Formats: sequence, structure tokens, C-alpha cells
Amino acid sequence: MTNGWIDIRNTDMMLIMGGNPAENHPCGFKWPIEARHNRNAKMIVVDPRLTRTGAVADLFLQIRAGADIAFLGGMIHYAVENGRIAREYLVNYTNAGFLIHEDFALPADGLFSGFDAETKSYDRSTWNYQGAAAPGALPGTVGFDATLENPQCVFQLLKKQYSKYTPEMVERITGIKRDDFVKAAELFTSVRKDGDMTKVATIIYAVGWTQHSFGVQIIRAAAILQLILGNVGRAGGGVNALRGHSNIQGATDVAGIFDNLPGYLKVPTPADHTFDDWMKRITPTVSKPKEWDSWNYWSNTPKFAVSLMKAFYGDAATKENGWAFDYLPKVDREYSWTHIFDDMYQSKVQGLICFGMNPVNIGPNSQKNIDALKKAKFLVVCDIYPEETSSFWESPGITAAQQKEIQTEVYRLPGAGFAEKDGTFVNSARWLQWKWAAVPIPGNARLDHEILSRIFLSVRELYRKEGGKFPDPILNASWNYNTPEVPLLSEIAKELNGRDLTTGQQLPGFAALRDDGSTMCGNWVWSGSWPEAGPLMQRRGTEDPSGLGVYPNWGWSWPMNRRILYNRASADVNGKPWDPSRKQIWWNETAKRWVGNDVPDFKVDSPPSDHMGPFIMNPEGAGRIFGPLAAFADGPLPEFYEPVESPAKNAFHPGQSANPVVKKYTSDHDKYGTPEQGFNVICTTYRLTEHYHYWTKNNPMNVQLQPEPFVEMPVELAEELGVKGGDQVKVTSARASFVAKAMVTRRIRPMQIDGHKTYQIGVPIHWGYRGIQEDKGKTSRNLINSLSPTVTDPNAFTPEFKGFLVKVEKA
Amino acid sequence: MNIVRISGHAGTVPGENASREYAVAKLIDVTTCIGCKACEVACLEWNGYPFRETVFDNTYQTMPDLEWNYYNLIRFDEHVKEDGNLSWLFRKDGCMHCAEPGCLMACPADGAIVQYANGIVDFNQDNCIGCQYCVTGCPFNIPRFNKETKKVHKCTLCSDRVGAGLEPACVKACPTGCLHFGSKDDMKELGEKLSTQIRDNTSHKNAGVYDPPGVGGTHVMYVLHDAQNPERYSGLPRNPTIPLAVRIWKGPLKWLGNAAMIGGILGAAIHYLRFGPKKEDGPHA
Amino acid sequence: MPDRIPDRLPDEVVRYSFSERLCHWVNSATYCYCLATGLAFYTPHLFWIAVTLGGGATSRYWHPVVGVGFALTAIWMHRTWISDMHITALDREWLRKAKAYATNDDANVPGQGRFNAGQKVFFHAMFYGAAALLLSGIAVWFPERIPAWLRSSAILLHEAAALVTIGAFIVHLYMGIFVVPGSMAAIVHGRVSRRWAAAHHRLWLKSE
Repeated sequence: MTNGWIDIRNTDMMLIMGGNPAENHPCGFKWPIEARHNRNAKMIVVDPRLTRTGAVADLFLQIRAGADIAFLGGMIHYAVENGRIAREYLVNYTNAGFLIHEDFALPADGLFSGFDAETKSYDRSTWNYQGAAAPGALPGTVGFDATLENPQCVFQLLKKQYSKYTPEMVERITGIKRDDFVKAAELFTSVRKDGDMTKVATIIYAVGWTQHSFGVQIIRAAAILQLILGNVGRAGGGVNALRGHSNIQGATDVAGIFDNLPGYLKVPTPADHTFDDWMKRITPTVSKPKEWDSWNYWSNTPKFAVSLMKAFYGDAATKENGWAFDYLPKVDREYSWTHIFDDMYQSKVQGLICFGMNPVNIGPNSQKNIDALKKAKFLVVCDIYPEETSSFWESPGITAAQQKEIQTEVYRLPGAGFAEKDGTFVNSARWLQWKWAAVPIPGNARLDHEILSRIFLSVRELYRKEGGKFPDPILNASWNYNTPEVPLLSEIAKELNGRDLTTGQQLPGFAALRDDGSTMCGNWVWSGSWPEAGPLMQRRGTEDPSGLGVYPNWGWSWPMNRRILYNRASADVNGKPWDPSRKQIWWNETAKRWVGNDVPDFKVDSPPSDHMGPFIMNPEGAGRIFGPLAAFADGPLPEFYEPVESPAKNAFHPGQSANPVVKKYTSDHDKYGTPEQGFNVICTTYRLTEHYHYWTKNNPMNVQLQPEPFVEMPVELAEELGVKGGDQVKVTSARASFVAKAMVTRRIRPMQIDGHKTYQIGVPIHWGYRGIQEDKGKTSRNLINSLSPTVTDPNAFTPEFKGFLVKVEKA
Repeated sequence: MNIVRISGHAGTVPGENASREYAVAKLIDVTTCIGCKACEVACLEWNGYPFRETVFDNTYQTMPDLEWNYYNLIRFDEHVKEDGNLSWLFRKDGCMHCAEPGCLMACPADGAIVQYANGIVDFNQDNCIGCQYCVTGCPFNIPRFNKETKKVHKCTLCSDRVGAGLEPACVKACPTGCLHFGSKDDMKELGEKLSTQIRDNTSHKNAGVYDPPGVGGTHVMYVLHDAQNPERYSGLPRNPTIPLAVRIWKGPLKWLGNAAMIGGILGAAIHYLRFGPKKEDGPHA
Repeated sequence: MPDRIPDRLPDEVVRYSFSERLCHWVNSATYCYCLATGLAFYTPHLFWIAVTLGGGATSRYWHPVVGVGFALTAIWMHRTWISDMHITALDREWLRKAKAYATNDDANVPGQGRFNAGQKVFFHAMFYGAAALLLSGIAVWFPERIPAWLRSSAILLHEAAALVTIGAFIVHLYMGIFVVPGSMAAIVHGRVSRRWAAAHHRLWLKSE
């Protein structure tokens, strides 16, 4: 979230799309309700199904799963055509006026300039501003047109790119009636009616946007819409991702993914021979119009990186050895979740340790994952329930004879549940909030980090005794805890905040980080959470001096307790808030400082006259309407592509229907279906409010509320199939079949997609073959993700769980 | 808490108006209910009732109906609106705590149903005789009979919590704040305010508060998008009253019966005094 | 008379056989229980009866069960006496003279068969009352399976029927105990004196 949960109450307009907060974030949904009560805010909900969020919306539109970019592109088109734009904001805070490379080409035929069909990737050198000295680098000074009239400026390219996203095309692609779409576009952009800047709109989304083979580009489209409407950085605005787990934001911050190190530092690659090579590659340099100033906060990357290396390796990281750069693994290719399982299926990955994860359920193409686990040598699962992954060898369909052939050694470790341990959650609003264990750990269960510590210490002992190929990173890893087997979570939290190695004092924040080895910090974005004053994430202050729901003394929000990111953009070029009733920060001419209700996300002493861009994490200082160079794998501006499995050809460019850079896997399990093969129904997956992922099928309370899996389908489709509510139906994709009871409903309607009647169905994800009902044999014990394809977004590697093709039959 | 009425009870009410207490009410804003069922779970947990096995029934609704140990059920209802779009309505069903409770009127058992000064109508199972007249007296079809214990149960509005200054468990658990709890006056005012806001700012021009006068108003009220058509909300009665038969039974018929019985006995006595017995061997001519 | 003839004095006749008397007393006992518990449910001022009879819940439990017993014996009684209970021209004559009967002006009351018209009316009132009580009672007994309108109507009917039987019962009790000496003995022992029979049921005695 650029903003936060509570801040939603400050909005005038909500577009909730790709998310279902009433069902999946019911506690947070009180804030949209408050916005309605306090500000008469309007709520537009766009979803493939009439959800419980849609049920309370002012305007609900049923969209075809996967057509989101067409819808958002249409919104951008509408805003630009109808002058519903924030011109001052656009010119001064975004790269709308930046001039783009002459050779850059928009995807008229579905491909941006620079596509290499061989490698299915782009040479992105033309995706740049004018005047770059080197092909892969941004120019120091960018050509700029404040009138936004130059045909090569970003704004004109944007206008041209989305000129084809007319309401007619939106209807053809999304299935949303033209009039309904225009109603939604009119309503949403009405916050900028007649150029008025006081009102604010927010966009709220979740995995309904990310789980596509173009997920990142959907979110980009939303960000562009918010930038042209001037809604980013402001109370009640922003682009707000709702996190589906209590600590998924925290997991992201500490880099639970292969291409990041903690604090969003990019991993080294084999091309980085030294620490300095690495720094040179990942530290951006300023790139801005000559009239502007830019802080380019990532220029501090070496401070973050050196301090991280000191946290990893302590005294073993010295200036002389390049801060132990050699200890870091160099990432030579993609190692996302689906890659790991594909590698395991090809016997390249031989063992797996799973903590807090049930990969048999969560991944796409479940049977492939089960078969991959069969080939592993060992599997360690730490969980609080017997779950599908550690029971993969007894998954439905495996015979006793086949079980004998499985050589995988499976270890089940009893971990501790969230209520059984202390520690922090980082919520969607980037708040670190400490919580205390509510109940003791049962039986022989152990804290997860105790289990990890003991494994680590044993492995290190083996390295110490037996040597090995390269024991140094293991032997020299910093492990300075009072009880090494059970580090205190407070010790870890303090380490993550960082310490001055000279004075031994906790750091006040990341501004104190040094690149000379005198500071250590486990995660620079969290620096400041546990200064000398103590653990700020344990604060429970309920003061709200501004009345805007900032609550500056409740918990701690990264970065540096800033509650709304880019909040410089909440004021005009002169430093005056756009809306005096929702002041975030403003320029105090007397004090010569930015002051306000929130911590300025800005250089506090940079006067408005310097024209420093508010988006300090970009080297331009500008909000990126155009994402230059390596920012995105699949285009500097979002273009609508069909899902990999789609009932229709891309209406813009049938020759290039799907995202051109998406790679398909090639194992015998990786089959992809087409309408011609009879897979003509769109299937989307989702969660129910009554359940929490794959856990709560073990809890009688949740099971009572939703006892068994079902397939939600339109009345019309059910009639065609002769299916009544409660009948068993079989849903088949190119990969597998899934059987469950039919929920026949009017909440999903048949749609006209490019002139063809098209059905969508929806299946909740929550069940499997272990759980209360499953163990009693009361469900069909199969996995919804056995249907979904192994195909991922090229930027974030999120699988395409929303919108794949199936056929439906009466079982 | 302060009792104002007791079922099946002769004579005065002990402690009547002995202390000041204001009437309380729960306001259910149906327009912001998201059907999450947190109230259902909170109700079970507070009252210590077990979770049960349910069966998929082509609906999101937990089960078809209330049960003696399930006081609180969100009813899910779908309607095609005039404009062709679908409305999906969630109504939290449970005891309405009528100001003129039909259950209490119908109940013959001394002290089985009490109405407190704060408006809560509570069942006291110790005194319940299991006749289920309350079921008949209720215009909302709420009380449920436990066949094993032969006692009737329904929502207590968490009289135990409210008596200790807390809000009902369902209100505590509601994540969106669509459940409100406070004085009846405040809740009415809030309900009107919400309704006005909905009427003024949304397409629901008939939004309003459901506080049916036929039962003297209720201590559980709804804010409905369409107060003109309460039936759309899974059959909420348009103008609920205590059934006519129950009112006749407990009103005119009772007085008629009393008069007839007393009159019959008195008449017999007077007759005896006036005419005495017949001769055993017949008239003496 | 199918039953064994009771021992009787020469000047006595058998008025009620054993089975008739048994039927009457089982019927009256069940009725009295239902009456007592019913009155307890009828008004809070009589709820003490239910308490006395073992508590409200117990009374509520047995009331319908005993009530079914009452209804069954009412059927038994009906089968036993219906042949003597048809309203005849004579009865209509008697009813016209009911005032004379009520004021003990018995010389002006026509001679009667086994039962006089008043007894017959009581018999029918109790039988149809019992039928109404049974049918409405079942609805009241299992309210959850009955539609609401039927339930509340049933309660009303149950109470109205009960009141009718109570009215009839008061008269019956008064007549039997206080007004017609010898009738109590008759329903207990089964025998009446010829004199008594001649006085009260002249035509019956003749046919005997």
C-alpha cells in the first residue's frame, strides 16, 4: 500500500478491483465503510463475480477475468479524452513531460520496439528517455516539455497508446456493457471534474490483479491512472495492495523471493565480479530535466548493502574482502517458486524445506508438484497441522504399490502457530506491529526460528567438522545471540533495525547507515523501528492529532514511520496542500522545512523552488507513467494481453494475443488448453471469508460456516448442463480434473466476449485432501490448483490463477 | 438489570422501576453488512455452544434456519432489481426484542420470560415449562425448542454482557461496524441519520429504519436499503404484530372465560340456595 | 347388559355397568388432570396448581399425554352411550320444559328415558369438546411443524373448547353432586332404587 488501511476512510472514491476486501479483509473493510459514512465516498467494484464486496458497492460491474488492463486502459483513455486529469501534478510530479527515445515504438501489432522472437524477450534500449549516453543507462539530463504537447513526450505517447481503448473495445474485451463502463469511468474520474484538485480517489486491489501473466502491468495501469488523476501521495488516494496474509508484507520486505535481498536490494549476478561491480550496476544515478532536482534515494544503495553484509557476516565482512561479496550466491537465472518445482520435477532440486507453506496446495498445476516431490530425496515440512504437502505420498490416486516406489524421506516438524509466538507482523499498510504470544506452544511443537536455528547450527557443525566445498559463508555467518539455539525475537528485531558498530548503539534510522563498515543493518527499510529509545513497533499510542487517522504513535511504519508514501505530492508545487482539509505535509517558509501531520517522505529542507520530484525512490524524482529500460520485462506502458489460456483472440492484435515475453514450461505436465479443444469456460479461483487459505479446514468453526468445496456457476450454464445446485460437477482443464458440488447462482452471469457468449465459473481454493471433512471422506478430496497452469508473470513470477480455461460437465 | 415484566406471573413485578435504566437497542445496518458471519461465531463462542456439522446447500448461508443453540443466522437472499442487476442481501436474523413481546404475552410459566427495563426480553430456562406458546406468540418466528431439555431458547441480546456494561458479543465481533449498540434513542437517531445519508447519496431512495410499531417497536432494529419492502430481506414481516388469535386468547377470551367460570360456579351456588336438591324419589304430587 | 349384573337389592335396578363406570371415571380423572394443569397454564393466578402437581415442566409434559388419554376415553364413552344419546322428540319436549326442571318443578317435566336431554347435551358437548381439544392440542403440542396461523388458531380453539367443556363440567358436577341425590351413588355403584329410577328416568325403568 502506498497509503494505509485507516487512510481509506479519507477517500472520496474507491475503485475496488482484483480484490474482494469484504470477504478477504473483512476487518479492514470497515475503512471503506467509514469513508462512505464520513465523506459519502462512492464505491465501484469490478470483479468476475458479484462478491460480498460487490453486494455493498454503489456500482458493481462484472468483468471477464483477465481483462483488467482493457478496463483500466479505457479509464485512462476516458480521463485523458475528457480532461479529467491533474495537469499541474502531471507536469511537475510525473514523467509525463519527459521526452522519449525517437526509436521507441508503441505495440500497434502487440509488440513494443526491440522484441527478439528467438529469446522471447525485449532489447529495451529504446525504452528510454532522449539523450542517453549509453544504451542501457538513463540520461543524466532528460528532455522535458512542460506543455505536454511534444509528440515524443510521455503524455502524448500515453494518449496515443490508450486511444484504441475506447468504450466499444472495452465492451468487446471485458464483457462490460459500454454504458456501464462509461458510467464507472465518469464516476471514478469525477474527482478531477473541472480540474478540481480537492477530491481524492483510491484504488484497492489484491491478488485478483497480481495472479496473471501480466499482473504487474495491471498494477502499472492502475498506478498510471492514479498519477494522471493526481491521487498518489495524498490522504485517501494511492494504489493500495491488500495483503492476504498477516505478514506477507514482512515476508516481502525481508526478501522471500530469489531476485531480492532484504530491503529490496537487487541480488548480485555472475556478471558482478566484485562488490563494486554489483553496486555500480544496482545503484541508480540521477536522471531528470534540467529544471528539476532529484534526491534519488537509491543512490544510498552502497550504505544499505554494506550494512546488510555486516549484518550477514559481521567481522568477516571487511572492506578488503569486498564486504564478503564472494559469500553471496550469484543468481544466474530465475529461481521463482514455479522454477523450483520445475527443477525438482527434472530432478535438479533434490530436497525442500517448507516453513509456513503448503506448496502442494498453493502452487499451480498441483499434480506436477506432487510428482516433483516424489522425485525429491527429502522433504521437510514445518506446520501446525498435517497438511497436503507432507502427505503428498498419500494424495488421492496413488496406489499402495506406487507409494512403495516413492523414495522421498519426509520429515514433519511441529511448528508454532501465530498466536503461540511473539514477534512482529507487517501489515498491508507497512506497519510493524509487535504482538505477544497468546497461548503456550502445545506438546512438542517448537518456535519456527528455533527449529531453523537448530538446523543451521547442526549444518554449521558439519561444515566445521567435515569442511566442504565452500564452508566460509556458513562458518562466518553472524550468529551472535545469547542462546544460539533460540534467538530472542527482540535480538533479531534489533539486528534488523541496525546498530552503530563503533558505539554499539541502535541506529536511529537508515539515514545513519554508512558504507564504511561502521554500521550493520539487517533490513534498511526497517531501520528506525528499534532505535535506542526502544521498540517502536510495540507502541500503542492512540493519539491522532490531525484527525486523519495517522496515529503516528501506534506501531511503526516503514520507512521512518511515514504513513503515506510520496506525501510530498499531497501539496502543490508551492508546497501548499491540494486539499486544506486533508493536509499531509506542507512547506513552512519560516522554518524552511517540510512539516506536517505525517513524516515527510522527502528531503525536509528542499524548498519548493528547487523543484525536487516527490518520487524520491526513482532517479527521476518523477512518478513513472513511462517505465524506462529494465523497469519492466514486458513493456514501459501496459498493453492488454489475453491470458495464456483465453477463450478469445486479442481484439487489438489477434496475431499477438498473449504477453509475448511469458514463457511456458515444457514438462509433460505443462499442457495448455484452447477453446478449440473444448476448454471454453473461464475459471477463476478465490478465497472465502469463512476460511483462511488451507488452514481452517482443520477448524470446526470455519468448517461449519463453509463445509465443503463447490463450483460457482451461472444459472444459464447449469441449465445447459442439466445441473442443479448441489449436484456434483466435474471441471477439467488441460492438466487435470476437479470434482465438487455445483453452486448455481445468478451472481455470475454469462458474458458477451468479442461477440461470443462466454461463461465464467469460480472455485474457492480452501480444500484439499487433509482436514476435518477431508479426513472423514466428506469431500471429493481434490485440489483446485490441479487445474491451474504453470505460467507466471514475467516480472513478479506470480502464477496465473485467475482466468484459465476449463470445461464443465455433470459428474 | 431491572425487570419490568415477567411472564406467567401473578401480582406485581419485584423491583419494578427500582432504579433508573435506559432502554438499549442493537441497530443492524444491513446496507453495510458483508455477510462475514463473525457475529454467528461470536454468538456461539460467547454462549458456549458447539460448532456443528453443516451440509452444502447451494448457498453461502451457514444453515437453513435458526436452532435452539444458534441464535444468530445471517440470511442470504438474492433478488433481481428493477434495472436488471442483482442485489445480494445479507440479513442477520435473530430475536428482535420487541417492546411488546408476543412470546412473553403467550408464555404461561411464571418467570420463564422477563422483559428488563432496558428493553431486553430474556428467557429463563429454569422456569420454562416447554409449552412453546412463545413460538406461537412470536411474530418473527424466533424461539427454538430444545427437544432434549424441553426448553425454549433464543438470543438474549447478551443480557449477561449488557448487564456488566458490555455490548453484545455479535456487536463486539462485527468487523465493519454494521452492528451498533447503545440506547434505543441513540440507535434510532443513528438509524435515521444513516438512512437519510443513504437516501441522499445512493440510488436507494427508500432506505429507512425498521422499528415496527405493531409490536411497540423493537430493541433490535434494521437499517434497510428498501424499507418499503422488508419481505425482500428473507421474509422480514412488513407489519409484524402479535398474532390476532394470541391477542384474543390473552385478551377478551380470557376475561370471557374468567367471567363464565366464576359465573358458572356462583350460579350453581345461588341455584342451590334458591332451589336446593331434587327429591330423590321424584316429585311429590 | 353384557356385563355381570351387580348384586342388587330387590328394589334396585342396574343403571351403569362396570365398564360404563370405569369409562366414566377414567375419562373424568384424565379430564380433571387436564383441567387442573390447563387452568394453571390458563392464568398465572392458578399457576400454583402446576407447581403443586410437580412443577410447570412436569405438568406441561403430562398434560398432552393425559389429554390423549382423555380423548381416547371420550371415544370409548361415545361408543358406549351413543345409542342412548340420540336427541328425540321427547327430548325436545323436555328442553322446552327445561326451566321447570331447573326450578325443581319436576311435576311439569315429561318422563325421561335412560338419559334426559340435559345429560345428552352434556354428553355431546364433552365429546365434541374433546375432539376439538385433541385436534387443537396436537397442533399446540408440536408447534414447530405447524404453520404459524394454524398454531395460533389452534391455541384459540383449544382454549375456547376447554371453556365450553368447563362450563358443561361445572353444571354436570353440580347436578351430579348437589342437585340430584343418588346420581353420585349410581355412577359409583351402578345401582339405583326403582323409586329413584321411576322419579328421574321413568321411561327407562319401564323398558328395563
